[in-house]
Formats: sequence, C-alpha cells, structure tokens
Amino acid sequence: MTTVQPAAIMAGRYQRAFTLAVLFLVAGWHLAGAGGQLLHNRPAYGSFAFQCAMWLVMALAITAGAVLVLRGTPGWCAAWAVAIIALAASTVAAAASPAGQMLAVNWAWGSAGWTGVLVLMRRRFPELVWFLAAEAMATLGVQAWDGLHRTDLAGFLAVLAWSTGAQVAVAAGVRALDAAAGQAATAVRSEHLARERAATAEIIRAARHARWLALQESAVPLVAELAAGTADPGDAQVRTRCAVQAARLRRLLAEGDEVPGSLVHELYASADVAERRGIAVEIETAGPLPQVPRPARRVITDAAIAILTDAHSQARITLAAVGAGIAVSFIADTGADVRLPAPGDGVFIQQQQDGDMFWAEVRWNSQ
Amino acid sequence: MEQPVTVAIIEDHPVVTEGVASWIKSDPGQRVRLVQTAPDLAGLNALPRPSADVVILDLELAGKLVTQQIPGLVAAGYRVVAFSGHTDPAIVMETLDNGAHAYVTKDEGRDHLVEAVLAAAADRPYVTRSQARAMLADQQPARPVLSQQERQALLLWFQGMSKASVGRRMSVSENTVRQYISRARAKYAATGRTAASKDALLARAIEDGVLKPGEIVPYQSFARGGADPPSLGLPGR
Repeated sequence: MTTVQPAAIMAGRYQRAFTLAVLFLVAGWHLAGAGGQLLHNRPAYGSFAFQCAMWLVMALAITAGAVLVLRGTPGWCAAWAVAIIALAASTVAAAASPAGQMLAVNWAWGSAGWTGVLVLMRRRFPELVWFLAAEAMATLGVQAWDGLHRTDLAGFLAVLAWSTGAQVAVAAGVRALDAAAGQAATAVRSEHLARERAATAEIIRAARHARWLALQESAVPLVAELAAGTADPGDAQVRTRCAVQAARLRRLLAEGDEVPGSLVHELYASADVAERRGIAVEIETAGPLPQVPRPARRVITDAAIAILTDAHSQARITLAAVGAGIAVSFIADTGADVRLPAPGDGVFIQQQQDGDMFWAEVRWNSQ
Repeated sequence: MEQPVTVAIIEDHPVVTEGVASWIKSDPGQRVRLVQTAPDLAGLNALPRPSADVVILDLELAGKLVTQQIPGLVAAGYRVVAFSGHTDPAIVMETLDNGAHAYVTKDEGRDHLVEAVLAAAADRPYVTRSQARAMLADQQPARPVLSQQERQALLLWFQGMSKASVGRRMSVSENTVRQYISRARAKYAATGRTAASKDALLARAIEDGVLKPGEIVPYQSFARGGADPPSLGLPGR
C-alpha cells in the first residue's frame, strides 16, 4: 500500500494545482472582465441594480462551484445545480439588457460559460459541450426575441467563437494535463516499486549471508565430520547434533519468511524436527501476541531447540501475552540437564524440574 | 456412598459417544451413571423434567454450532459440560457466558471429562487448560479483574504444569492453586448474561469460601459507576 500512496498523492497535487489555476481564471474573469464591463456600461442598463444582483448571483454560483471542485470532482447533481443557476442568471441578465445593445453590454455570457467550465471540466466532456451550447442558444434566443439583425448575428458568432472557444480550450487543456499528471505519477510509482524491489533484494541477500555465516559455525563442521567419517551416525550424540542442526536450518529458513507472527512460525519450524523423531509437540497461544525482535526470538527458539532435542516423547509450547511482552513456556519429559541458552536482549529465563518433567519459561518484555 | 451423578451425552458421532461412555465406565469410583445418549437436542427438549443432572454436549451437532442452545438447556434445569473439538477462545468464552459449567476439548476429554461432570453436578468450578487459555486471552471490556496470583496460576496451568508444580512454582499449596483458579472462574460467572447455572456456581463459590461477595464486582461496574450488582439468587434447582 505504501507504494501506491506517493503516486496518488502526486497526481492529486497536480490536479489540485490545475483546479486552482482554472478557479483564479474564472474568478478573475468575473471580477475584472464581467465586473468591469458592468460598471463601464452602467448608464446603458434599464436597471443597474438588477444587473448587479445578477452579478452577485453569478458570484455566489462561482463560490459554490469553487467549494465543490476543491473537494474533488463534483457529482452531477451539485455540478449541474451550479451550472443551471449560472445559466439562468446569465439569461435573465441578458433579457433585462436593452434590445439592440445586448451583445455590447452583456457581461454575463462569459461568466456563465466559465462557471460551467469550472464545475463540469472534470465530468464527461459532452456535459460541458451541452452546457455551452445551451448557454449560447439561450443568449441567441434573447437576441431573437429582441429582433435579430444580420449584424447582431455576426456579432453573436464572433463572441461565440472566441469566448466559447477559449472555454473549450481551457477545459480540454485541464483534461490533457490531468492525463499527463496521471502518467507522471504512474512513472514515479513504477520507479518507487523498482527501488523497493532492489531494497528487498538487498535485505534477502543480507539475510542469506547471515544464514550462511551461522551455518559455518555449526552445521558445516558437522557435515564435514560426517563426510570424513570421523562422526559416526550410529552414535546417539551425533544423531542429537544432527537433529539440532536440522532444527536450526529449518529455523534459519523460516526466519526469512514474510509471515505474521514470526515467532510462532519459527517455533513450528523447530517443533517440526522434534515431531519427525516421534515426539508429540503441542503449540498453543493465548491472546494477541506482540512482535518480538529477532535477537529475542533467537534466544526463544534456541531454548525450544534445546528442550525439544532432549524431550523423550512429548512437549508443550505455549505463548501468552503478559503485560508489555510475551511468556513462552516449554514443558517436556526431558529428564534432567537441559542446557538452555544464555538470557539477554530483554529476555529472562526461569526453569523448574518436577520429576522427569522439565518446565522453562522465557519472557521477553518490550520495556 | 453418595448417589452417582446422572449424565446424558448429546453427540452426533457414535464413536465419540462410545468413547465417553467408556471413560465414565472406567471411573474407579463409578461416580457417574450414564442415563441417556442422543444425537441431537430434540430428545432432551421434549422431556417435561430434566432427565439427568449433567449434559455432556458436543458443541457441533450435524455440522452446526449449538452454543445458542445452552441457555435453553440451563433454563430447563440441566448443568452443561461442553465437549468440543473447537479450541477457539472466543467459542470457549461464548459457551461459558451462555451458562455452561465447564469446557472440555476433545484432546482433554480422557483426563478431565468425568471430573468436570462431577464438579458441574456440585456447581463447583472446573477449569481445563483450554478454559484457562480463553480466560487469559480474553480482551472483552467487561472481563472481570483477576488478581496477580489468579492470573499467574491460570498462566502456569495453561502452560501445562500440574497443579502441584504450579504450587511449588508459586510457593503455595496445591489447594491454594485450586482456590486461585476456581476464584478466577467464579468471577467470570458474575459477568455477562445471567443464567441460573452461573448464579449456582457463584453461590457455591461463596459457600465454599472460594470467593467473598465483595470480590465479584464485574469490571464494567468501575467504568459505568455502579451498575447493578450481580444477582445472587438461588440456583435453578
């Protein structure tokens, strides 16, 4: 999951930057462009106050649209509500403008179009096209109502071409930039994954090397002795050494495995060897167990190997959460003389012999 | 000699029923008498009066968990000892909360089942290792507060020590170890849903001096600032 986040965050950041750019464009247009035109043509309107009211309605629609787009891609209901308010305000403002001069004094067409771009640019592209077409048709309708002349139609087409053209271009640009940001983020993600793979490979290599070093000290001399014939497989002591080394090998292999509850997993691996010798091993856990660091796990599994190696027929291993740590206990019919590993790394060992039953408890505390 | 305790076995695998019957038969004191066996609960529920002191109930009959049926059995006057292949602490706790006297896993049967039946007949706590495990693993907010010694005794018992060994480890007598473990069990009888069997267990624990009435305040009452005291009414029968 951690590999996905940076890419998603990166693509999200780009998209937000594009949103802010469009937002500044729309707000700037409405304040300076439309607002300036409104003030400049002040004497021309039948009711300047009404035009101002419509300008404020449009400003509110833009504000609502800004809130929507800053929260993510708006749903169709919210987006279209804002778009239709802008469309209505623009049409009413146009209708209230003096006939014949409508195009010259119309501040609202551009603002409504930009508001539509703001809320619809990240929705399906046809939605924006429909909106801009409806906006143009409404303005043309008002003009026709006022009495359409050939010059008016030419003016209409000119405004349509540059205003709507700019709006469509900006919306298309944002979509293209979004797509580019997504690609860039994907590229970053795959680079991140590659880096992570390399790091994992390095960890695995180091773990293999550590295992190899551990084997050099213990298993390799035994194998060498067996090969040279100086160790006799018929000798019980040699068989015990083999059993211990087999358990270690399995544990070393298990240590690298990426499984939750590494300690339980390693204890199972250790128990497996004893089970092959016909010893019944029970492993039980009680409660949610904490993660135990590797050095402490080593002491615990070493104790397990020592006890299981000496067990005659049965052993029970339990793991229980205690306070801020874990209590791992072993009970086995070992007879006497189990050589337990030295405690350390926050690990404490207690033991008790009762008849031929041997009990040991290894506790590790996180504090 | 006291009357033997009568027992019914509800178990859908005949071979298990046979095995349990043989454990009962091989009890040297013949302290338990098998009076009924059935593959499901229909037979028991049809009877107007309890036909046995204790029911040994396999928790899975015909592939279905029957823990929800325990309150009905308890209300009908039976004492229930659950005998199950399940070892999941959550199932153990649910079974005890529903009013079973004891929980014995199929691995523990030979050593513990007859003793658990006898303890249940006397309304005395009986704690198997699987029960100790479930109590140690319990994370429910309403769990009872166990003392340090009760927890330690439960832990060592769960780990597999004999009670005599636990006593040596804790420098107390074997009898004191039994008291610690029984007290922990009795405290659980004071929590969760109410059941006649749990009240009986508590009443007997107080009678036996295992528990003082003041010790059975469930954990939740601290948080809630004085919840209802646990009911100590007379046992169901």
